[in-house]
Amino acid sequence: MSVFMDLNIINSSDKNRLKHIIETAAHLGYSTVAINYVVEPLQKKQEIPNPQSISDLFDKFPVVQGKSSPIKVLNRLTIVASDASHFRPTNEYKKFDLVAVYPKTEKLFHAACMTFDVDIICIAVTEKQPFHFKRAPVNGAIDRGIFFETCYAAAIRDSITRRYTIANAICLMEICKGKNVIVSSGAERQLELRGPYDIANLGLVFSLSEGDAKAAVSTNCRSVLLHGETRATASGVIHTMKKPQILQKEEEETPAAKKARTELA
Amino acid sequence: MEDSSKFERYVYKNASVYHYMKISLVLEKENRNISDAQFKQLIISGVKDLYGEIGASFPFDLLKFDPKELTGILRVYNSGLVKLWSALTLLGSYQNEACAFRVTQVSPFLLALSGNSRELQFGDRAQVALRR
Repeated sequence: MSVFMDLNIINSSDKNRLKHIIETAAHLGYSTVAINYVVEPLQKKQEIPNPQSISDLFDKFPVVQGKSSPIKVLNRLTIVASDASHFRPTNEYKKFDLVAVYPKTEKLFHAACMTFDVDIICIAVTEKQPFHFKRAPVNGAIDRGIFFETCYAAAIRDSITRRYTIANAICLMEICKGKNVIVSSGAERQLELRGPYDIANLGLVFSLSEGDAKAAVSTNCRSVLLHGETRATASGVIHTMKKPQILQKEEEETPAAKKARTELA
Repeated sequence: MEDSSKFERYVYKNASVYHYMKISLVLEKENRNISDAQFKQLIISGVKDLYGEIGASFPFDLLKFDPKELTGILRVYNSGLVKLWSALTLLGSYQNEACAFRVTQVSPFLLALSGNSRELQFGDRAQVALRR
């Protein structure tokens, strides 16, 4: 059985609050959480924040209820894109384990599905969807292994955003037929988190099938993680590692021509 | 020679008409006095907010309530389980105060709610039993 994951916990500067949220998540049964750094590039050159080191948060990570291993915490970046120039995959993006984009226009949604190098595409929850989903880009995204994400914290906070969340989610499920969907919290406080089986039940409200609803919290989240890991590799087969420095002394004894060829084994 | 004993096999597709849910209410401020009527009223208002008058018109019962721990056991017909569960999930505030419903267990059988591996505690009793 796949483990449960919550891939959207909004980052806050208050470390204590973040600690409480992660402790609650571990208590509820989530094996992995991702701290989400949301960036909305309004000015021309906005800095991408550096993800803080995870070991700063906890000395000893809280143990997931029901298992004996501690909770795993990842870093995730979300770019709120209202213009094509906002999304520029630079080296800063590589510091994050997951990259997500929140497209605000139809053109950007199409571009994000077909060309952008992201793992997750976020669906609007706090406002009415400004554009309709078309089957072509959605199927293109599914082929590329990109997942669509719905957050449920807005549905808990306010009744108006609840309507938008459910309406947008149902719209998405109709077009994508329940494939490649993840549901995450988007929680800013620990009381906005819900247990994984509660969310699987919420998937039924979003007109997912029972199997898809549970997969949205478990299997699909794991697929997103793997997609994020392979983003730094060549087709997921080869990945690069920094080679440890060989001591210079040994190389000086023999001239270069007589050096044994150790590189090609 | 004895006749080979006949046996019949009963297959229950859905053995129970009800589903039982063990839930607990977590509030932001810990000390609050909530009576069982208020607890049930909170749940009914949550279901009504989400599903409206007609959607909320399925019966459910609060079988047990602990006012100190704010835990309770609900009973609902199978047809109303998804609605009740989703209403509990999306309920966010009680009298302008943030709250959360934690669903501990859901089972079609009430007996299953009596034992819970999450509350299992190994203590002195287990050690005494081993020594014997």
